[in-house]
Amino acid sequence: MTTPSSRPSPAEQPFTFPREYHFPPFFTRQRNAITYTAQCQKWSKLILDYCRAKRIWRLSLVDAIDGELFWNKSLNRRLSLADAREIIDVMKTKEGRAEWVSKDKNVALVYWRNPEEWATVIGDWIEETAQRNTVLTLYELTEGYLTASQEFHGMDTEILQKSLNVLVKRGKAQVFGSEDQQGVKFF
Amino acid sequence: MSLQRVDLTTALRPSLLPDETLLFVQDAVGLYEGKYKIPTCQNGHAYLTSHRACYVDNEEPRKNSVAVALKDAGFLKSSPKVTLHFKPPRRTSALLGAPSRSGNSSPLPRTSTPVSPLSPPPTPQPANTATWICPICSFSNPVPSNFDFALVNANTPLPPCLACGIKPPLARVLKAAVSSAAGRSVSVATSEPVQPAQTLPESYTRSDTDGDGDRDEGSASPVGSTATFRCPRCTFLNHPSLLSCEICGASLVSSSVPTHLLADAELHRSESPGPSMNSLGVNGNDITESIKFSFRAGGEKIFCERLKGAMVQRKWLLQNAPPIPKPNRLSPGDASASENAGAEEPQKSPEQKKVVGIAGLERRGVDMRKNNELVIGNAFEDLEALMGSAKEIVALAESFASKLNTAAGGAAGAEANAVLSESATAIGLVTTKDMLAGTGSAAESLYLSELARNLAEFLTDDARGVLKREGGIMSLVDLWAVFNRARGGVELVSPMDFEKAAGLWERLKLPVRLRRFRSGLLVVQGREWTDEKTIASLLDWLRDLHSAPGGGYVENLESHWEIELFGRGVTAQEAAEKFGWSVGVASEELEMAEERGALCRDEGVEGVRYWENWIVGRNESMQVDASSSPSSSSSAAAAAAAHGR
Repeated sequence: MTTPSSRPSPAEQPFTFPREYHFPPFFTRQRNAITYTAQCQKWSKLILDYCRAKRIWRLSLVDAIDGELFWNKSLNRRLSLADAREIIDVMKTKEGRAEWVSKDKNVALVYWRNPEEWATVIGDWIEETAQRNTVLTLYELTEGYLTASQEFHGMDTEILQKSLNVLVKRGKAQVFGSEDQQGVKFF
Repeated sequence: MSLQRVDLTTALRPSLLPDETLLFVQDAVGLYEGKYKIPTCQNGHAYLTSHRACYVDNEEPRKNSVAVALKDAGFLKSSPKVTLHFKPPRRTSALLGAPSRSGNSSPLPRTSTPVSPLSPPPTPQPANTATWICPICSFSNPVPSNFDFALVNANTPLPPCLACGIKPPLARVLKAAVSSAAGRSVSVATSEPVQPAQTLPESYTRSDTDGDGDRDEGSASPVGSTATFRCPRCTFLNHPSLLSCEICGASLVSSSVPTHLLADAELHRSESPGPSMNSLGVNGNDITESIKFSFRAGGEKIFCERLKGAMVQRKWLLQNAPPIPKPNRLSPGDASASENAGAEEPQKSPEQKKVVGIAGLERRGVDMRKNNELVIGNAFEDLEALMGSAKEIVALAESFASKLNTAAGGAAGAEANAVLSESATAIGLVTTKDMLAGTGSAAESLYLSELARNLAEFLTDDARGVLKREGGIMSLVDLWAVFNRARGGVELVSPMDFEKAAGLWERLKLPVRLRRFRSGLLVVQGREWTDEKTIASLLDWLRDLHSAPGGGYVENLESHWEIELFGRGVTAQEAAEKFGWSVGVASEELEMAEERGALCRDEGVEGVRYWENWIVGRNESMQVDASSSPSSSSSAAAAAAAHGR
């Protein structure tokens, strides 16, 4: 890894949970429709903030459900797997901030930025660093030292593919190469 | 006499005097004073009690409800209307006098009365004119002076008709005598509409010199002493009892019968020719000669029957009567029984004191059973005696009931049983299907509305405080059980009738209401207690918990700051204890508040707890909270500091 050792990994930094995380009913699916909508919004925000802070691209619910995100051990309250799935579903359908990787709804891509936003971010970075008409491998783009300070460093390849596809559609990039040896040329 | 205002209960029924019992109820009743329609009293309920006949208006019950004390009522007649003639104020000693002493002051003529031009005005009469009409020859015979209808029976000898010599039926003479005594017309069946004409002349003023009543009536010609009736065709002055003119045979019926009597049977009230009067004569100065209850939806027959019964029983006389002497002392044949019959009473014979221990207890038990046997035996001897000893029997029955209850119920039920048996004595839960006339849907709906009123009274009675004990809300099923138990096991109300009656509260504007929770649970509440009030009191309570955390639940938590911020959750059990609700009601109320968005749920391993809803609009309410109270803002700051670590 080329991550500079002077800076602690973002995953190790303690995450500051919002206040509702300490409110026991927050972990129970609310029956009142209005309350539930608010609850979903708050959960959605919490999940995205958490994933951004921890740089989580793929959220495996089965694993995360036992993590601190869904389990407030001090309150002895946890969100059930079904409720978490339901919240991800709401994030997917209402806000487009998540997507299931498989049909069994165990792993979800979490879009704290969605592919369109990532495409813009990557395009802007290319623009700033004057890398038009250069060819970069996807590995370079996400894991290379050049991008270490960038937000999209370490990006999940699936999200990267989607983002580059957006750029291709915009006519700003071209993806070529085979499975593992893909490269991208920016215009 | 005049009409009296009537005190109404919370359920808009007449509040009963001590010892007064409700005999009959009929709806769709209008009221006439004399011949005058009382415009404000044309649609209401008639309540017949043992002491009074009450009218309760449907529209404005508090304003337009009146009562007539039966002791003031002279006599009544039956038609689609029941007319109560008041005794003149002078005569208060006896209800009805003998006909020979039936001096009456004539009713004050109403100057504004539109009098039918053909009806003869009351004319003064010098002689006693108690007459009966021979059913054979229509001759008017005088009622013998020694004829006292209060004393006659089937064996009383009656003089034959002076014209044809046929003995009259007793009922006819009786009617004539009674009508004369009341100074008013006698009962007239609608099938004989002509008779009001014949009896009209009987109301007159009698001079005081005739008041001794010793005058021999046998030879007096009734024809000469009564008013005559002019034939509209040939002007011959006929005897008023004749149906047709003696000379020309012209019918005297149509002209002589007051038109409003003929119109009574019709239901088109707007066409009723009866004149109206403007106000109720309840001020006491206005002298009313009669009050008519007009039954628009039937029921008059039973009303009249029960009214007659009430007038015969004259229960108002019993109000200060001494208690019925104990019959158990009167059996001389069984000396020991008569000696020990008074075991329940304070005085004890010296022999009784000698028997002690278990033998004494057993002896007492035997004595009490003997006593009870005697009381019951005497009561059922005949119906009159049963009426007389009704109170005693009821008390006895209730003591049996309470004994049964305490034997059956456990420790928890004992208190409830005591209250129940107490309340059974205190209340006149008398609305029964038996009390209402007829069959069919009309009687059914009347029964239900009366039951609804009954229930409302039962619920709102402060002395019992049924609703208050349950925290202002109780489930319909509980109420049904309590109510039926309070009825003492007789005249039980079917669940279906009960639910229907409860559904009527809203429409009858009664002070209680039926509420259906989302789960389908039906509860009974005071009208003034709304969901908003419930939520407000729940939130007040939850906010109080912020500053005063208690119980082991809180101790388990690692950090206390969010308890100051969020308060803590409550269970249905806690809410039930706090507000005195049953647990079922409490959970329904909490769910209702959750549904309104005021609370939110927290399902933990210990069950569901309800919290103030911080999920929705938390930021707004927190800002309000912080700005309103410095203590909570400081706690919020502490929370922020805790986060910042």
